[in-house]
Amino acid sequence: MDLKDFLRKVELFDGLTEAELEKVAAICQQRRFHRGDILTKQGTPGEELFIVTKGFVEVFLEAPQRVVVNLGAGQIVGEMALVDQGLSSATVRAVEEPTLTQVIRFEQLERLFQQDTSIGFKIIRNIAADLSFKLRHRNLSER
Amino acid sequence: MASYKVSYVVIGMDHPGGIVNLDHKPFVGEQVRLSDLTFEVLEVLEIMPARGGFHYYHATCHPIPTVISSDGTDQESI
Repeated sequence: MDLKDFLRKVELFDGLTEAELEKVAAICQQRRFHRGDILTKQGTPGEELFIVTKGFVEVFLEAPQRVVVNLGAGQIVGEMALVDQGLSSATVRAVEEPTLTQVIRFEQLERLFQQDTSIGFKIIRNIAADLSFKLRHRNLSER
Repeated sequence: MASYKVSYVVIGMDHPGGIVNLDHKPFVGEQVRLSDLTFEVLEVLEIMPARGGFHYYHATCHPIPTVISSDGTDQESI
């Protein structure tokens, strides 16, 4: 599948025009992970946003280790550190062989937001919706 | 084309569930694979209003018992 066709199906980019999607696609890099590979480590500075394109990742908390959610195709990882500039809140590990992602470096995304505030507004709004969805998922998990 | 973002919550075992995008609305009786296990959907609810081309659903599911075959692959038990 063409990268733009994939990005169009990712909620993070909902509402972007074709021209805006082109700009986002230009800063994406595909990265392949093997089962067990770590995408982000809890307590370390986040520098990249990951979009799962194939496979699954699990989000888990250290000490004591506890998996909090599995994320599949179309889901994003690293958005909290992008928004609050804090350390990664959890460790994220690939659990399928292979797990494919598109990766965007924070600095490139922030530069794009400054150059094109329409893209910045839409993506930040979509990140807020994604965080809301994840919170709803957690609330429903604890019923 | 619509996309369906689904929150899967597992009952009947200690499993964190998952979040996945589908190209169709989830339905009761559907079998879904979350990482390394397969589950059957028991209940489907819309949890947020649709926005843009996205629909938001919550599905409750339970594990499908599996047995390990001689070649090491999981198979649904009968």
